[in-house]
Amino acid sequence: MGAIRSRVEGQESFVLQLHPFRETSLVAEVFSRTHGRLALVARGARRPHSALRGLLMEFRPLALSWFGAGEVKTLARAEWMGGHAPLAGRGLLFGYYLNELLLRLMPREAPHPELFDHYAHALDELARSGAAEGALRRFELRMLRSLGWGLTLDREALTEEAVRPRCEYAFVIERGVVPLAGAGAGAAAVSGEALLAMAREDFSDPRTLSEGKALMRQVLGHYLGERPLNTRRVFMELSEL
Amino acid sequence: MPSLLDELIEALRCLPGVGPRSAQRMAYYLMQRERAGASRLARALVRALEGLHHCERCNTFTEGGVCERCASGRRDATQLCVVETPADLNMMEQTHAYNGLYYAIMGRISPLEGVGPRELNLERLLARACDGVVSEVILATNFTNEGEATAHYLGELLRLRGLKVSRIARGLPVGGELEHTDIGTIAQALIERRPLEGA
Ligand SMILES: [Zn+2]
Repeated sequence: MGAIRSRVEGQESFVLQLHPFRETSLVAEVFSRTHGRLALVARGARRPHSALRGLLMEFRPLALSWFGAGEVKTLARAEWMGGHAPLAGRGLLFGYYLNELLLRLMPREAPHPELFDHYAHALDELARSGAAEGALRRFELRMLRSLGWGLTLDREALTEEAVRPRCEYAFVIERGVVPLAGAGAGAAAVSGEALLAMAREDFSDPRTLSEGKALMRQVLGHYLGERPLNTRRVFMELSEL
Repeated sequence: MPSLLDELIEALRCLPGVGPRSAQRMAYYLMQRERAGASRLARALVRALEGLHHCERCNTFTEGGVCERCASGRRDATQLCVVETPADLNMMEQTHAYNGLYYAIMGRISPLEGVGPRELNLERLLARACDGVVSEVILATNFTNEGEATAHYLGELLRLRGLKVSRIARGLPVGGELEHTDIGTIAQALIERRPLEGA
């Protein structure tokens, strides 16, 4: 039997990251709706008149075709899909932040169609609205859920009791919401009101936004481990200039 | 201890796009067929490393403190054009459409790679643009996502410092026909359409 050259046609995908490869090629880390995250070699994509040049860009939906059986496949074709407003300004930095989260937390070649839709939705929100931080927090919550690490924010961890808006709580990793009094020293406080709003994915209140940011940072830090996020550092440095 | 040959191959791999196989080919070629060229290359590298510095004004390479272009009194010092690389600067020069001065960032903001203001020394560009003579900064970074992000942040920072900031325009190529233009370019040209000035 000959080698199996499985070919996949026209899959809706986003480029997460591009690396130069050899003299004239690129390796694209891609998030495809049906195939999850995968690495594709784009042969000759850095040649001056390559049809792929200027087409393989982050944050725009592309229909990609590829073939190959190894870990790194070969890109056969890329087509512009459109329908997405382009990211601009600060939204670009936020977009890179989403990409870094996916690159760090989503394993290769496991399909996550619902996470793909959340990602596309988040990019759309970033492109269209000024409420960018809320879009980031919503995406983080949905991403954790899609990867099997969903947070329960409207009930207490042990008692299953409903979270009350006027009480103070803390979030304990891999356990959940506990009353602040029983959380031990050093636990960051989060209001019941913010927890309930986050459970509804409603970040319209500035207080939910700031408490939610701290909480998500704590949770994501647990899954990301020691190595800090490059995008976060660059963003911080830019806002200090 | 690695052999001299291994060391040479390893050293050649620092060149962009050169993997182990091409590095080996280059090493054999230099040692076998081009020993005179290899020796010239080695001397030129040592001398360039000692003698070339970043121009104090435009950040490109020069042998003195300030390059010829920046020192020339014939350029309009009130305009500063910011480009990513010296190659981009050369393209701008070939247009003969610009008579101001330049600043080459020597890169672009690459958030995923961790290349930010510190790595690019953007403070230096801000200081250069705020010399009191420059009144307009023209941002000519690439129209990639990273080039756009770089232009956005530079624009904000320079405007905050009271400078007029503009961005080079994008759209269809000169002589371009819609039928033969890539879809992304047409889509962007549509987004950035401008009113037609009536007579
Ligand atoms: Zn100069």
